[in-house]
Amino acid sequence: MSKKNSNKTPEQQQYEQLEQKHELQRPVLKNCIRAFWVGGLICAVGQAITYFYIYFFNFTEQTAGNPTVATMIFLSMLLTGFGVYDRLGQFGGAGSAVPVTGFGNAVISAAIEHRTEGFVLGVGGNMFKLAGAVILFGVFSAFVVALIKTLLGIWGVI
Amino acid sequence: MKKRHLWLSAALLIAITGCSGDGEVTESDLALLKTTNPPPTLIEKNTKENLDLVASIEHDVESMKELYDVAVVKGDSDTLVAYKVKHLQRFHMKRIEKKMNKMLEEKYPDENFTVSSDYKIFIEAVELQEKMKDPDFSDKKAKKKLEQIIKLKKEMT
Repeated sequence: MSKKNSNKTPEQQQYEQLEQKHELQRPVLKNCIRAFWVGGLICAVGQAITYFYIYFFNFTEQTAGNPTVATMIFLSMLLTGFGVYDRLGQFGGAGSAVPVTGFGNAVISAAIEHRTEGFVLGVGGNMFKLAGAVILFGVFSAFVVALIKTLLGIWGVI
Repeated sequence: MKKRHLWLSAALLIAITGCSGDGEVTESDLALLKTTNPPPTLIEKNTKENLDLVASIEHDVESMKELYDVAVVKGDSDTLVAYKVKHLQRFHMKRIEKKMNKMLEEKYPDENFTVSSDYKIFIEAVELQEKMKDPDFSDKKAKKKLEQIIKLKKEMT
């Protein structure tokens, strides 16, 4: 008998065994395949939007990134409002959360959830409840990377 | 009801995409999708020496095995070299640009080169080369367009 189980009563151990018998297995491979396709589809849409900006406007490959990100976030916000992105998230999991569209979804989901608490303290105060962490750590890691790049540039490594 | 909405949206999408210009498709319209291999273009005086120089630059750049489409436009002071990199070689874009700059500077020390692997710059270079075929398109306009392309290349944000 392991040390972990030694502190448990026979009833607890019996319950644990019963729980393990009934516990559903996570379909990891299926989830990964779904995430791969949904994430890939979102990125393909993003690439199409980038080409749209390059082709019809005066954006280069380098400068088209900013309007593309803005458009993708705006679209995901609209889709969240219409309730479509939630279904996509349910199906695609991380595939819909990891791309930048997941950020838009996080902002609007929180805003919708707290709208009953008023516009200022409800929507305004809670809008960045989830996305705030993304912004904070995004800005901080960008600062650290920029600092390292600057130092390497000064020392003549790159 | 839902099905009706779907059909309506599909019909609208087809109608909107159907209204795409006057139907005349130029090389620059397709430059993003296929290999165009535009001929080298000269904006300043069409002397034999300059023509040979611009053809030689294009030949040298095309000989790099990482590339598959090259456009060269030579103006008064600047020479624009736009190129497309083979898909798997796109991981080495910076190395390719460095190599090309080094090769061009060594071979043509008197020329001032602007090299770019950006699709937009390539499309604009092909468009300029197409416009040059039009006799109404003056050299002054061509020079201005080339300056605009080089300015666009230097834009960072």
